[in-house]
Amino acid sequence: MRTGVHICRGNWSRKEEVLLTGDYAPLLDFFESIKVDQMVLEYATPRAGDIAVVAKALASREIGLGVVNPRTSTAESVAAIVEQVEAALAYFRPTQVFLNPDCGFGCFANRCVNDELTAVAKITNIAAASRILREKHG
Amino acid sequence: MFTTTQVGSWPRSRELLGALREKNKGRMSPQAFNAVADGETRRCVQHQLDAGMDVIVDGEQRRDNFYSFVTDKLDGTKLMSLADMLDTLEDKAGFEEMLDTLDVPASAIRNPTCVGRLARRQPLAVDELRFVQQLTDKPVKVALPGPYLLTRSMWVGAYTRKAYSDKLELGQEVVRILREELQELAAAGCSFVQFDEPVLTEVVLSEECDRRTFM
Repeated sequence: MRTGVHICRGNWSRKEEVLLTGDYAPLLDFFESIKVDQMVLEYATPRAGDIAVVAKALASREIGLGVVNPRTSTAESVAAIVEQVEAALAYFRPTQVFLNPDCGFGCFANRCVNDELTAVAKITNIAAASRILREKHG
Repeated sequence: MFTTTQVGSWPRSRELLGALREKNKGRMSPQAFNAVADGETRRCVQHQLDAGMDVIVDGEQRRDNFYSFVTDKLDGTKLMSLADMLDTLEDKAGFEEMLDTLDVPASAIRNPTCVGRLARRQPLAVDELRFVQQLTDKPVKVALPGPYLLTRSMWVGAYTRKAYSDKLELGQEVVRILREELQELAAAGCSFVQFDEPVLTEVVLSEECDRRTFM
């Protein structure tokens, strides 16, 4: 069984300006010290900073790469997801990279940040991007 | 390689929210609520299978939120809205103002407040895992609240001090409970357990960016 830790900057509001902002640099010692297989990280928002920041700390771990923002109404394109993952391949091997949204689509039952149709569109594009990436890098 | 999955939660339908409200008010039995949630979970899982996702989640359709749901499973806890908790705070006006600034409706967000010694009445998420396993042969991921999030949110001094001397003692109990859960999920064939620690960023970023969370 695989274990992971998910970290984000808040997912209760669509107002980006109320959610936390800053890269993972202050948490790198923590990343290196905990005994889990994977860190599941927000990376679809600029508030999360650059992927290079976590590269060294996660060199021998998996990264659950956030490739879609759960709080927006438009699905990220397959091409944009592929491009983001390929940028991460400068630091990670294909087997280290999982593709996931930045966070859940409804962490608080009566404060869900999206609707089902949009959520379906977003995960459909994640799966499509993964198929392309496997063809190209498999 | 490039395995696809989700972080955990899925939007709730109007029907499910109605059932959740009735359950929370004691007007619907947990069994009747679960029957509604079963249907919602089936649809959520089907969407993931149709999309071609690799590791499947249940969409947290049975959960009020990703950490408050433990009140369904643990003795010594009570589901309280942030509005309920306001009365126990010394700086009530300050907390209300903070919630307003953060765009958090105090009545809509609920907390798993520790009000007595904790005991696991039933596993936290083994039921969720087993249900999804009935729907698919694909690997299943389960999210659990991390020990820091859970300890921090459960500790509401006015209630918790009667049962635990400090946050450290409560935290050790929370870790013990999560460890037992992890072992049971592994034994039940879970493929991936993810611990959610969304407020760790607050600890390190809050001062720098002058923003915070309510959890």
